Amino acid sequence: MQRNLHYPNRTLKALALSSALALGALTGGASAQDDLSGNLVFWSSFTQGPRAEYMQRMADKFTAEHPNVKIAIETFSWAEFNTKWTTGIAAGQVPDISTALPNQVVEMIDIGALAPVDDVIDTIGRDRFYQASLGEGQKDGASYSIPVYSHAQVMWYRKDLLDAKGIAVPTTWAELKDAAIALNNAPDTYGVSVPLGTNDRMGTRYLNFYVRSAGGTLIDASGRADLTSPAAIDGINYWVDLYKTVSPEGSINYNVLDQATLFYQGKTAFDFNSGFHIGGVKSNTPDILDDIAAAPLPRLNADDPVYGGETSNIALVAWAVGKNQPAAKAFLQSLYEDAEYINFLHSVPGGMLPALSGISDQPAYLANDTPQAVREQRSRDRSGDPAGLCHRHGNRPEGSGRPHHQPGRHRTDVPGHHSQRHTGGGRRAGR
Amino acid sequence: MKDRSSNIAGFWFVLPAMLVVGALLLYPVLSSIFFSFTNRNLLKAVYGFVGFQNFASILQSRDFWNAFANSMKWTAGSVLGQLVVGMLAALALEKIPRFSGVFRTLLIIPWAFPAIVIAFSWRWILNDVYGFLPKLLNAIQITDGNISFLADPQLVFGVALAINIWFGAPLFMINILAALKTVPSDQYEAAKIDGASGFQRFWFITMPHVRRVIGLLLILRTIWVFNNFELLFLITGGGPAGMTTTLPIYAYRTGWGLRQLGMASAITVLLLLFLLILAAFAFRLVSRWERNPTK
Repeated sequence: MQRNLHYPNRTLKALALSSALALGALTGGASAQDDLSGNLVFWSSFTQGPRAEYMQRMADKFTAEHPNVKIAIETFSWAEFNTKWTTGIAAGQVPDISTALPNQVVEMIDIGALAPVDDVIDTIGRDRFYQASLGEGQKDGASYSIPVYSHAQVMWYRKDLLDAKGIAVPTTWAELKDAAIALNNAPDTYGVSVPLGTNDRMGTRYLNFYVRSAGGTLIDASGRADLTSPAAIDGINYWVDLYKTVSPEGSINYNVLDQATLFYQGKTAFDFNSGFHIGGVKSNTPDILDDIAAAPLPRLNADDPVYGGETSNIALVAWAVGKNQPAAKAFLQSLYEDAEYINFLHSVPGGMLPALSGISDQPAYLANDTPQAVREQRSRDRSGDPAGLCHRHGNRPEGSGRPHHQPGRHRTDVPGHHSQRHTGGGRRAGR
Repeated sequence: MKDRSSNIAGFWFVLPAMLVVGALLLYPVLSSIFFSFTNRNLLKAVYGFVGFQNFASILQSRDFWNAFANSMKWTAGSVLGQLVVGMLAALALEKIPRFSGVFRTLLIIPWAFPAIVIAFSWRWILNDVYGFLPKLLNAIQITDGNISFLADPQLVFGVALAINIWFGAPLFMINILAALKTVPSDQYEAAKIDGASGFQRFWFITMPHVRRVIGLLLILRTIWVFNNFELLFLITGGGPAGMTTTLPIYAYRTGWGLRQLGMASAITVLLLLFLLILAAFAFRLVSRWERNPTK
């Protein structure tokens, strides 16, 4: 189902050149013969200011180059988008293109709602995408989604609070519990918040971390939820224990935003999230920005290998009912031009990791303060710096994901279907 | 003959409006009834008829009965609370000689805000980590630590109810106040001369004048509150552990969370039947009051 293509360097260069030429032909301005036309509707879940502004700017730029194409961007939060597209399907009211979470992509493919986008992927350069992220949007050899960025879950912590108590960065669940209890100073600071609200799947995400660390999965080989395995039961008991001991009582209702807000405001000593925390802390409590850092997810035993608990690949999709697919696909392609793509990633520094290879080493990408700090830290980390994955502005969150990826430990291949690296279907807490 | 032709002409004039209103009212109801007998999935076009299977599953579900009980408590508590608070506020405003307009405006403020603003404001005020109220109670040593109003099993339902009473009472207040303005003041004066007490004046003069308004408000608010989704959902999300999950929230979770549109439709049909029975009973009661104001 998943294609594994390996090209020699010369072929890559040739592909890149032809891609650039093809892209140039598609987006080369109104002066050339422009057969792109139509009114496009783009449902975007990039609600934050800089990302929303970026998308609008790209739409305006595309329209300037293709005057016969008009792009209307409608912005919804992920929760709203979930309601919008599911009801839209029944009424036939869906857009030409949209953002989508990986689990939504699976549902969309299953009901035949998406148009294949292999041509777009091939033009951008199929080998530039990570195979696992492409695999999440493939069925029967066709690709239906284009990864636009990734984010991986890591353990965030407050260095200053740990230093004050002389506690080392926890590497195991037991150490995390001890450290959280030691740092718990409610109501000023809580050891860790355990989010158990039912409006998203944050509780499931936390349980998944624990089960993954034990080498298990929450979805069994037949695709069913497995909440009664020894690892799952241990995990449930672990988090319930932490909830009762060091978590705000209200976290029983928390969703992703409630949970993140506590860390942004310096109210929790530990938290689990992606690089989006850098921007969140920066805008909410910049005073503690230098005091936050991240480390790999805790393990059962200190000598267990580092594992990737969850990497989310956020995607762009073209809807099958769209009447202007050539224009829709050309617009999608335009979002992956290196210079503009880097601008997009910089709209949330450190939060969005490149979905394309060859981006993270580019000077333009590193020109931003956060990726540069991450890169420096990763160098120190490789040379044996024991203080975790970051010092200044957080880490590269995929530090707990791909670089340490161990086949068979990080992903569950649901038989006969999509590659799945998470906890399975259903609505996930998106960003 | 002339009357008959003018009636026919009138019928043709109102027909378009009747069709539009009929379609808008009937289509959702009929489609819900239709889908309640199917295994329709929200995302899948193919579905089949399952007879009464959805209803049988729902009526055997503990979650449904929990949601039903919560709906009953939520509706009865909210409507009666709103009536009492609204009535007291209206009587107080009626007695205030000066600035009653200012107070009336202030008291109606909750009703003027959208539910999402109300819900998020209260969630912020009651948040157990950085909320104003738990911190204040802790600071003045009324409580030991920050109380979690929206997570404590002993408090959450009552707190949500109190917010809904605060939110809905102004509607009762304004309508009852309007009815109070129609009570002739000479009746009070005559009763006073006859030696009637304050309670007797309220019960035998005021109440008969406002009873019909109250009756209609009770019917309308019962239907609205029973069907209300957004305020409770935005405040508690139905949690913790389903303690504030009412039937509309349960139907939403079934339809949009689990994608089981057939099952969700069956829940709403049951909800509709219950409300129809309740409304029929209530309207009969109001009609009886109108026919015989002394009973």
